[in-house]
Formats: sequence, structure tokens, C-alpha cells
Amino acid sequence: MTGLAWLSTFLLLPLAGLPMLRHRSYGRFDFLSRAVLSGAAGASLVSFSMTVFALLGVRWQIPTIAATAALLAYGMGRLLPVKKANVAALSAESFGTIETIACGLVLLVVAAALIATVDGAAGSPDLLFFWGTKAQQFAAARTVDAGFLRETFHRYMHVPYPPLVTNLGALATMGAGRFPWRAAILTFPLLLAALALGLPGILRGSIGRPVAAAVSALVISAMAYLGMEADIAGNGDMPLLFFETLGMALILSPAASDPAGQLLAGVLFAGAASAKVEGLPFVVAAATLFLLLRRGASRGDIGRSALRLLGPTALALAAWFAFGATRRVFYGYSEYGPLLDFDPRQIAAVLRATLKALISAGHGLPWLVPLICLLVAGRWTRMAAIPLGVAVALTGFLFLSYLHRVENLALWISWSASRVFSPAAMLFALAIGARDERT
Amino acid sequence: MRLAAIPLAGAAILAVCALASLPWRQGLLRWSSTPFDRSLASSVAPGYALLSAAAGVIPPGSSVVARTEPSDPIQETYFFRFAVALLPGRTVLPTAFYGAPIAPKTWRDANYVVLIGRRPTAPPGRLLLETPDGTVWYRGKP
Repeated sequence: MTGLAWLSTFLLLPLAGLPMLRHRSYGRFDFLSRAVLSGAAGASLVSFSMTVFALLGVRWQIPTIAATAALLAYGMGRLLPVKKANVAALSAESFGTIETIACGLVLLVVAAALIATVDGAAGSPDLLFFWGTKAQQFAAARTVDAGFLRETFHRYMHVPYPPLVTNLGALATMGAGRFPWRAAILTFPLLLAALALGLPGILRGSIGRPVAAAVSALVISAMAYLGMEADIAGNGDMPLLFFETLGMALILSPAASDPAGQLLAGVLFAGAASAKVEGLPFVVAAATLFLLLRRGASRGDIGRSALRLLGPTALALAAWFAFGATRRVFYGYSEYGPLLDFDPRQIAAVLRATLKALISAGHGLPWLVPLICLLVAGRWTRMAAIPLGVAVALTGFLFLSYLHRVENLALWISWSASRVFSPAAMLFALAIGARDERT
Repeated sequence: MRLAAIPLAGAAILAVCALASLPWRQGLLRWSSTPFDRSLASSVAPGYALLSAAAGVIPPGSSVVARTEPSDPIQETYFFRFAVALLPGRTVLPTAFYGAPIAPKTWRDANYVVLIGRRPTAPPGRLLLETPDGTVWYRGKP
């Protein structure tokens, strides 16, 4: 029952995000997509509120956190211009054969991910090493417990890691009374299911229902198989993929041409950057490429778009780093040393170890299959440069990170590469559906 | 139609792979005893199981060490971390950190010892719990 209570607490997240998603501009999305986007936006805002509370020394209480996040969501909705309800994108096309097959495949892979998780075949020890442990401790302390993080023998807990996963885990733990380890690993299949429900409705605005359903099925299948092979249940990788996928789908959709779509993408990007360190390069690359590829926009337009896309991330991380600095616990992402302090002599070793790790995760198929689909589809649209450019930027960032360490390099890469490169599989799949025309 | 068929075919291939990777022969619909029974980290499953059970016999406020029998600093590094997670409210003392043993004076006064592995020949205290994964001992207050 504790597990059910813990998972049920997350139902607060769509409620917290709803005041923003009620805006008429989001009428272009169907009910399921809007519900999932509300949950994602709510999660990002709830985490931000918790970080600000911790920074200000205000004890966490579920009602005040939820109310603050909902107020933020309401405020953002009020900032957006009021336009005619945009419901034209919801076509009256019937549910065809392609969609039926896509739904069947998605059901199969989500069920497979659920079975693997319940069966103890996808659990990540990182849940116990730091994600869940910090969430449990923070729930007991009703704040980000700087004393706990500062202890010498707790430094393995990746103290500067961004706070979203631990904040939300702490929220649910406060709701349930204790941290249920077995229920926490179910976040993998549940977030996969949420993504399966929400993604087609976001994509279909630009590419139509059948292609949106097929591309979504490819994204979900790749994530499910990869998650099962790389054991991501319970760690921060699935939340990161959840935010990254929704954010990327949004900026590839016609919704990104108006302020509401951009602000929502910005809030989701803040969720990604607050979920894991590698969310930040993803967000910066995605927003930069989006802005560079905008046609006919004035400098002022680009500036405002940049603010909507990157402002929420800047605020979320500023609050987190301010907390670390004021409590003297951490100063930025300092775990791997100075940015340019890497060893280029390790390039060959890093390449070898990374390829080995990627091949060990399902023979590399979670990346190869979407990539081959992209090549066969032969759709090299201008907008496809966004997901593909982000994949290249992320790869560069990850290689650079690996070059920072010499000790146990191969072991470190074998543990992490299949997980941290997982967004590339999703990006290849989304590039298939990236269309240039905007409505 | 063609554009939809390509990703759909890709999704079908990956779905087949995902289904094939499930442990069909060992029986599917089974609630495993730990989250790691069949994962890449299955070697830590006994420690998880024993430390979860130990939470029932080690009261909050006491101090505890998680060791392996025979002693293995790498495994003890992991189980220290597991103990911090699974025994909240207790002071968990490390016997190894990042694979290097820690001087016994740091942890020898712990009230409780969780021993993952076989039962030791010389008992480190009063036996509180024994499972197939190991034993839990009360050593008294220092």
C-alpha cells in the first residue's frame, strides 16, 4: 500500500501543471497529450518550487509546494497572449491500420518493460546508491539536507547532481510516509506508458496521425528495449528521457511557432536540465539549433524565443547552484574537474569502451534500428537538423566527460555509456518525423 | 504510407527484441524478491534482501556495519551504500570506501553487524537473524 500511495502522489503533478495547460493555445493537443504535458510541466514546476523552498530555508509541505507550483503555472498561462482556440490540428481522421499496429506494438513493449521491471531484470542499483537514498533523506528532513550531503562518506552520492528526481521522490515519500524501493522502480514502465500516451498527439500536428503513431511507436520501443538492456528502472534516466522527448517533440511541432509552445518547451527543458547533468547540454543544443533554424524571425523575436526556451532552465539551475553555494556543499558541476582539463590521449580507449558498451546493450540495435529507419526514409529535412544536431552535440559532450577520467575508465564507461547515450536513439527516431512546413 | 511503414517496421523489430530478452524460461509473471534478481547487478541482490530484512531487527538510532563473509572491500563499498539506503535512521559506518578498506577503529564499535554471505565460524555477537543471504548480529553498546 505504501508503494501505491507513493506512486499516487505523482497525480498531483498534472494538477499542478494544469493552470498553464488550460491556456487556449494548447487546445491544439488532444486530451491525452495535454494531460501528459500537464504532468511534465507540473513536475518541472514542483521541483523548482521545492528547490526554491530549500534555498529560502522553508520546510517542505505538500500543500504549499503544490499550490506554489500551480500558481507559477497559472502565472505563466497569464503571461501568454490570448488567441483563438487552436483546435484545427485535431483532425477528424479515423483510427487506421497503421495506428492500430502502432498501438499494439507500444502495448507490447510497455508490457515487456513492466514485466522486466517487476521480474528484477531492469532495476538500477543507482536507485539505492543515491537517487532514492537522497530522496528518502530529504523527505525526512523536509528540505535538501545539506548536512547529509556534506558528510565525507556520502560524497559518492553525486552531491551536485540536479535536484528534480530527488525532489519528486521526496515529495512522494512525504505523501506515502516512507520510501518504497520496489515501487520506485516502476517509474520506468509508468513514464514509458505516459510518454506513449502523450507523444503521438504532439507529433501529429505536423506529420499526420499515421506517421505520428509510427514514429512514437519507434521511440517507445527503442526506449523500452534500451531501458531493459541497460537497467534504468528507478534511476534518473527515464525521467530525463521523458522530458527530453516531450521537449524535442514540441519544438519540432507547429506549436513551437507560437509563444505558448515555446514557453511549454522551455518548462520541459528545465525539467530535463534538472533531472540529470547531461540534460543541460541537450537543452542548450536543442534551443540553439531551434533558434538558428527559425526562418524570417527578427532579432527581437529570436531574443524572446530564447528567453522562453532557456529562461526556465536558467532559473531552475540558478536556484540549485545558489543552494549549493550558500550551504557550501557544491559549486557548480565540479565533480569531473575543470571543463578543459581532459586527456586527449584517452580518445582511442574511450571510443573502444563506448562502442563495446553500446554493443552490449541489445547488440546496439536500440540505436541502429532508428538510425537505419532514418536513412531508409531518406527525409533530410531542415528541421531534422535539430534532433540530429543535438545527438552530435550530446555525443561530443559525453566523450569530453569520459576524457576527464583516467582511473577505471573502461569500467565507468561500461556502467554508464548505454544509459547516457540513450537519448540519441530517441533523437534518430524523432528526426524521421521532423517536417519543415509550419502551420 | 511508406513514411509510416518504415518506423513501424523498426518498432516491430525492437518489440520482438524486447520480448525475446524477457526471461521466459524462468517463468515470467513472478514478483522477484529484489529489484535486481535478474539484472546486470544481480550480485548485489543478496545484500539487498538481507539489509531489507535487517531493518526489522535493527532499531533506529543504533549504529551498524554491513560486511561480507569473506571480507571483500569492493562488495562492502556497495553494501555500505545499500545500508545507508535501506536502514534510514541508523548510523551506518563504512568498512570500505571506493573499494579500499577503512581502518577498523572507524567501525568496530558498531552496535549491529550485518554479514552478507556464509555464517562466520566465530560469532561477532548475538545472532538476531539468519537468512539464506547472511546473518545479523547484535554486539551490544560499546
